Amino acid sequence: MSQELTDAIVSLRMDDAVTIAQRMMGGGTDPLAIIAESSEAMQAIGRRFADGEAFIPELIMGGEIMKAISHEVMPQGGGPDTKDSKGTVVIGTVRGDIHDIGKDIVALMLGISGYTVHDLGTDVPVEDFVAAIREHDPGIVALSGLLTLAFDAMKSTVDAIAAAGLRDEVKIMIGGAPVDENVRAYTGADGWGGDVGAAIKLADEWTAGGA
Amino acid sequence: MQRGAEENLGDRLIASWASGAHLRFASNDVRQRYQARAQLIVDTIRLKDTGKIPVIPAATQKFAFDYVPVTFREAMTEFDKAFDAYVRQYEDTDFDAYTGPEFIFPAGMFEALDWNRVRLPGVHLPDDKSFQFVEAEYMKADEYDEYLDDPSDWILRKYLPRLSPKLEPLAQLPPLRNMVAFFQGLPDLVLAAAENPGMVDAMRALQASGEAVQEWFEYLGRIDQELGGRLALPHLLGPMAHAPFDIISNYYRGWRGTIVDMYTRPEKMTALMERLLPWQLQYGIDGAKALGHPIVTVYLYKGADGLMSEEQYEEFYWPTLKKLILGLVEEGLLVWVFTQGKYDSRLHHFREIPAGTCLIHLESGTDAFLAKEVLTGSQCIEGNVSSAMLATASVDEVEAYCVKLAEVCGKGGGFMMDFSAFLDEARRENVKKMIEVAKRYGRSSS
Repeated sequence: MSQELTDAIVSLRMDDAVTIAQRMMGGGTDPLAIIAESSEAMQAIGRRFADGEAFIPELIMGGEIMKAISHEVMPQGGGPDTKDSKGTVVIGTVRGDIHDIGKDIVALMLGISGYTVHDLGTDVPVEDFVAAIREHDPGIVALSGLLTLAFDAMKSTVDAIAAAGLRDEVKIMIGGAPVDENVRAYTGADGWGGDVGAAIKLADEWTAGGA
Repeated sequence: MQRGAEENLGDRLIASWASGAHLRFASNDVRQRYQARAQLIVDTIRLKDTGKIPVIPAATQKFAFDYVPVTFREAMTEFDKAFDAYVRQYEDTDFDAYTGPEFIFPAGMFEALDWNRVRLPGVHLPDDKSFQFVEAEYMKADEYDEYLDDPSDWILRKYLPRLSPKLEPLAQLPPLRNMVAFFQGLPDLVLAAAENPGMVDAMRALQASGEAVQEWFEYLGRIDQELGGRLALPHLLGPMAHAPFDIISNYYRGWRGTIVDMYTRPEKMTALMERLLPWQLQYGIDGAKALGHPIVTVYLYKGADGLMSEEQYEEFYWPTLKKLILGLVEEGLLVWVFTQGKYDSRLHHFREIPAGTCLIHLESGTDAFLAKEVLTGSQCIEGNVSSAMLATASVDEVEAYCVKLAEVCGKGGGFMMDFSAFLDEARRENVKKMIEVAKRYGRSSS
């Protein structure tokens, strides 16, 4: 463990963090150990975010530093072993909506919170969600949308998952600025959240409950 | 700015806009109703206790289209149909002002140039979805100095070619600052044109895009005449200006790039925002003069609670926004500050602006009752009726919330009823109930 690397990430010093990671690599540290430590530092930022002490820039900057370190120590790609994963999540912004920031942050934080995340991107057709559920067998599907126009697309996605006979296999959460309990009821989702903290809390509750 | 020399610009524009000098009224009765509404809006922003609550629309999109109905795609291409939609919507809903299709741009404007900053219905998205802006890194992290050194050159030869493949030939032009020596740089300039046959297509694409805009402006003018001159509705949305931080984030660096810059090159960002400030101020003033409209709208994007810390807001966001608002107010103009997202923790900053000069829009995430408390005696507030609630809740739920808003926020003036965001999915009966509550409150207190 290098307290130095953790400190550099938590205080969002990108250049320092990358230099330290390079030095650790040069000294023979296992790249996976460097990634694991970086993830722990990110989780510390995530906890500060949940407590209202950190804000979106910290999360995004932390994510950028993580990306830079991964690129440095694992240029061929790959990632930490997923055998200890808390669960699998398929996430995407629904059809007709191209907003990505909220969805990206939730995907990032679910990932560093221990979930295996398959991000389908934005403007995702309902059939792509269905195909991804068949392929990845997730316990959780997360639908994002910033526009009120996304409500119908969320509902059609939930309906399509049901029509494909997969509704009982997954818990579905919806998220985005205009979402509330009325919208959840309208779309037929299992839960909703207005921010990243709510998404992770829901996922943890569902996986603890054996979803 | 040149305040006080003669009559203040803002006062002059307020008087002319509120009288409807730019409209042909269908009757004297319409004129009087228009003037009463416009004056009520001005008085409410000025924090006069009128005993009334004006009810205004932040903007209506699909909500209006559904009256015909027209799709988003049609609204961007078939202006006569969209014209009917807006007219029918405003005939059916008793607002005190109107906002039209100012953000339903003509598809042809973008399509002629293959403008890649938008995703359009009928091209990239289904016909019934709203067009959306793509936020990307159009300015690279190492281009701050280049921009600061010669902004127009960067915009002409770097930015425009990145926004439109049709405009890529512009990248081949020599810097125009070189047009000083050796026959005024003329050989270099014309060679760039002669050697690049795409230049002619670029000019043709600009012309085709411009023709779409001409047609659209003509249509906006017809809407103004119909809604103002026949339905007595003042047009609320006129000139605009932008917070310098949002320009960098929305148009140049993208949100991710901007965040990285806040941590890695804060001094460059600040220098660029200071550079943008006087241009935006002049842009707002020139727009007000050109449109004869005294209310400058400033849409805010990235300063909301959670999007940055208060320290970051105070360091990066607020200083140039404050100077922009103060500059407009100094001219006597009114400023419609359209906050987006939750804004609770930032509201107190608007007390730093002279009282009774701003109309502060609140989305549903912001606590309107807190806003009333923080801004009473300082600035007028409006909005907050959740678009999600208007789409999914019952009429009784809408009524209960609006009554509370009217009673608490309407007390003593300085409040207008409005929904939270651009209105797409919403039940008509819910919107009508929101309007009715505002009118009822006005009658009961006057």
